[in-house]
Amino acid sequence: MTAGEEEPVAGDFVRAYVITGGRRLPSSDELSLHTLVTVGPDKELPLGASPEVRAIWDLLSGGYLAVAEVAAHLELPVGVARLLLTDLFEQGLLLRRAAPPRAQSVDRGIIERVLHGLESLYG
Amino acid sequence: MWILLVVLVAAVAAVLRARRTNMALRRRNGDLQSDLTAAQADQHRLHMENTAQRNQHANELAAVRKDAEEDTKAVLKSAMRTLQLLADEQQLIIEKAQKRYGDDEQVLADLMMVDHTNSQFGRRAQGIAVLCGGWLGRREAVASVYDVARSAKGRIKHFDRVNIHNQVNVAVASKAVEPVAVVLAELLANATNYSAPGTPVEINIQSVPTGICLIVDDAGLGMSQEEKDRAAELLSPAAPIAITALGNPPKFGFAVAGMLAARYGFKVSVDSVSPYGGVRAVILLPEDLLTTDVPQPAPEPAQEPYQQERTAPPQRLTPVAGGQSGAERGVDRSLGTTTGGLPKRRRVGPVAVVPSPPEPQPEPESNSELTASRIGAFQRGTQLGRDTTTTEGPENQ
Repeated sequence: MTAGEEEPVAGDFVRAYVITGGRRLPSSDELSLHTLVTVGPDKELPLGASPEVRAIWDLLSGGYLAVAEVAAHLELPVGVARLLLTDLFEQGLLLRRAAPPRAQSVDRGIIERVLHGLESLYG
Repeated sequence: MWILLVVLVAAVAAVLRARRTNMALRRRNGDLQSDLTAAQADQHRLHMENTAQRNQHANELAAVRKDAEEDTKAVLKSAMRTLQLLADEQQLIIEKAQKRYGDDEQVLADLMMVDHTNSQFGRRAQGIAVLCGGWLGRREAVASVYDVARSAKGRIKHFDRVNIHNQVNVAVASKAVEPVAVVLAELLANATNYSAPGTPVEINIQSVPTGICLIVDDAGLGMSQEEKDRAAELLSPAAPIAITALGNPPKFGFAVAGMLAARYGFKVSVDSVSPYGGVRAVILLPEDLLTTDVPQPAPEPAQEPYQQERTAPPQRLTPVAGGQSGAERGVDRSLGTTTGGLPKRRRVGPVAVVPSPPEPQPEPESNSELTASRIGAFQRGTQLGRDTTTTEGPENQ
């Protein structure tokens, strides 16, 4: 019998429920996918932060990111990222602001004129 | 006078008779003595034969038992392999579902419960497989000792009672990642099962001159000397352990820990008392199972299918840095921030809403169909940009 018989295991080594510690997840109303979050000015990463919180801290130190983006970067379910962000937020370490407003619908005529303009430039 | 004579004759006669009887008895005694010797020799021979036969019988019985045990193990091993693979497969499915439905906290909470149960199921299958000479499944990447402890914690029922105190920043070599996690999980399972509900179980990770110690303390009643002796026997097994000797219902924990420790070259002991009065279990990982390499998570294979599915990505969300993934990945700082404070994102692929024609078209204006399709594509693009219900991340589809 050799070690070659071992099948590789691909699943995440640390499971999501361990990261949350089995705690109740915050509702999506509390921190929507589009809410932008960043690290508050002059705030320090709390001591003993988990690797996930450290990764969030590094991500957000560069500026605002949407909750959905934080989750995607960390490759975590959104609900888990939301819980970690809520923790940081409740400790007063994060700033957040509402998602940017939706773009207004644009008149088809304008789009056509823009396209024609672009085509006359580059076509 | 004649009376005296008569008495004398009678006496002589009596003496003669007694002497004759005595002679006869002696002869008889001699005969019996030789009979006895013969009988004793016979008995000895029979005894020897009996012993030999009994030994032979015992040997044959042991051989039969060993064969039966090996057969049982072989069958169980392949059966467990199937279960292990299914548990692993299910874990991946749950993982994907958790990412897909991660925005709904109720669905996510339920999926996490399923995941937790599946992890415990997987650990049981792994344990039986190990006792039957099977394997655990190999992790391709090294993992920090802290992550090994967290992973182990996730494999037991009452994981919320386990606290991890980590003072070291060392990673476990990839080949030992899974075995150490399984052994630690078995120790944690014992610790939580044999202590009062609600009492904490502490993991302390400490650096020692010969490596790293993972110390598990519980606040249970501890073990008797007899239990400790039995545990010590299982934890440093001299021979393969008979699965039928583990009781019914079987107690796999120490046997699994002992088998894995022997196989991968680390030590497990449970002979000390925890400061809380319960058992203190210690895993000692030697230097050669440790590495100071920064954990480099394996390239995520799940990334590829997602990207292939999205044939026309409106915008690549992630500044994907090759080889980096998971919690270790941070923002590429060289990109800087915009004046508005938003992080700049590197666009990895071209924005392919409107597929650019491979070669310059000779008469683009005159081709009304092409113009119409471009307008359509442009509009679809702007619509996609405005549609806030569509999230772009691969995790949020």
